Amino acid sequence: MLSKKVTREELLVVAAARQINNGDVCILGVGMPIIAGAVAKKTHAPEAVLMMESGICDFEPRVMPMHVADASATRGYSYATDLFSVFATITHAGYLDKAFLGVGQIDKFGNINTSYLGMPPDSPRISAAGGAPEFYAYAKKSILTMRGGAFVEKLPYLTSPGYLGGGNEREASGRYTPGSGPAILLTPKGIFKFHEETKEMYLDALFPGVSVERVKADIPWDLKVSDNLGAFPVPNDDEIAALREFSPRASFPSPVAVQLVFENFKRKMAGSKRN
Amino acid sequence: MVVQSGSKVMTTREAITQFVKDGDSVITGNYNESMPMSLLFEIIRQKKKGLTYFSQSGSLDGEFMVFSGSVDKMFSAFVHKWGGRERGGVIEQYQRSGKLQIEDYTNFTYNARLFAGSCGYSYMPVLESIMDSDVFKVRGFMGDKKFGTTTCPFTGRTIPVVPAANPDVCVLHVQRADKFGNAQHWGGLGSTVHACLASKKIIVTCEELVESDVIKSSPHHTIVPGFRVSAVIEEPYGCHPFELVGYRGLDTAMFSLINQAFKAEDGLKNYFDEWVYGLPDRAAYMKHYVKIFGQQMLNNYQARSYHSAPANYGIPFQSGWDHNGISHDLGVDREGLEQLIEKKGELVDVK
Repeated sequence: MLSKKVTREELLVVAAARQINNGDVCILGVGMPIIAGAVAKKTHAPEAVLMMESGICDFEPRVMPMHVADASATRGYSYATDLFSVFATITHAGYLDKAFLGVGQIDKFGNINTSYLGMPPDSPRISAAGGAPEFYAYAKKSILTMRGGAFVEKLPYLTSPGYLGGGNEREASGRYTPGSGPAILLTPKGIFKFHEETKEMYLDALFPGVSVERVKADIPWDLKVSDNLGAFPVPNDDEIAALREFSPRASFPSPVAVQLVFENFKRKMAGSKRN
Repeated sequence: MVVQSGSKVMTTREAITQFVKDGDSVITGNYNESMPMSLLFEIIRQKKKGLTYFSQSGSLDGEFMVFSGSVDKMFSAFVHKWGGRERGGVIEQYQRSGKLQIEDYTNFTYNARLFAGSCGYSYMPVLESIMDSDVFKVRGFMGDKKFGTTTCPFTGRTIPVVPAANPDVCVLHVQRADKFGNAQHWGGLGSTVHACLASKKIIVTCEELVESDVIKSSPHHTIVPGFRVSAVIEEPYGCHPFELVGYRGLDTAMFSLINQAFKAEDGLKNYFDEWVYGLPDRAAYMKHYVKIFGQQMLNNYQARSYHSAPANYGIPFQSGWDHNGISHDLGVDREGLEQLIEKKGELVDVK
């Protein structure tokens, strides 16, 4: 049941949280994935094992970590290991169920660029590879989120291989965990999935108030659309309460949140000077 | 992977029945210390057949496992001769009579195989000097697959490599674990961590089954995460007569009894009848110990506490809200947040 008014950001977080099953071993980056993990853990997936790639494994997020090695965001955790081991003994060895990854640019087969909008050294930089290529290759399934990124026909720089050229190319290469790859892409306009055989991205569900035409306007190829187009999952009160308990600022778009936080600290500074 | 609460907690008998099959390769997680004797006794009692046993430092565990008839093959880097010079060890006798095949590695190359296995690699570089040793040159049942060589693409040098090892089952005894299998162990770790992480299934006995919060307050003591563990058993004295720091020392009284058994004709057979086959479980074993040796003897070996200094894992905020119900980030209470969302949030009509 949903009795509260909810925001675009909250809808996206809850959609991501619903991708986590109870007991899943998940790798989460700072930002939306951590909030989704916190919501899932407080609602339908209390035994999900949440990890950050620094080696903080099975943590209970209390507040947003400031980076992936920020243990001050969790009241203890079950297993302290290190980054190399997270990649080698957990991810590559086959024990990572879900990876949550952010997208800079993506093509129709789920290949991802998070590095450069061209070739180095003279192209603008997006960010860099981080842990994405190996998590994307060896997690059993990957959940992608994109806000402010772009769909492109051809990536100028391929950071993290998805389904490569489509079809069974990824599987046949033998280089990836069998059955792995992107399961779903969440954006503020819709949910995208990948065709079982061709591995081509298609529109699976629309964000409330968004039309197919508006989705297609962002996409440089002729996007396929599911025959039975679904709706974006509607959050319930428990999920919204868990989200707001964890991070009240997460209900707002990032620039708005940054401004609200700044104003709050300005007020606090004025107060502490008075005292 | 769906984990059901508490489903991993079981008895030693259930765990060995469920997770150790004839023909499996079995490794002891513990390196000399805290040997998982209760789990090994149960493997012997259940008369498993055709096992391949990984034993880095083949001590009592190796001798017992081989004598039981459960083991056909062994990987080892060291073999202790329990029967002394004259009689020799059980492992030695079985190897020489053709009842047991052994592939010899060094401590380092044995561990490199486990490290590779734990990482999901197919092989690992080892150190060049081994190529001059007969450990490299003399091949047992692994044949060509015991060692290989490759060329370093950066230096052009010939590098010896070992194949990854992924044993079917690791048996392990630790100080404490929670119901999910998060296992905490401290002491001389040896090859323990990679023996566990390389294995397909892990069975953990622990002195104490503790609340998960105990584990969460000391994550640096966890050597294997719960999601890797198949079974957890609270089994006090699960490693007796071996030592476990924080609990007890090596029981030299029992060791001298075992020493005598190795020396006497039929001694080991009689020992097995009395201490392994004759007793259903570890609780009965400890009761029998007290009957034979006396409680005072057992008490002699109990550890006197010497606690590690607690590490402070404290954090400033338990949620996005302070104890007055004000958001750290936004400076409003919960009602204020709802007003802010109405004013500044991008509301969505989900109806």
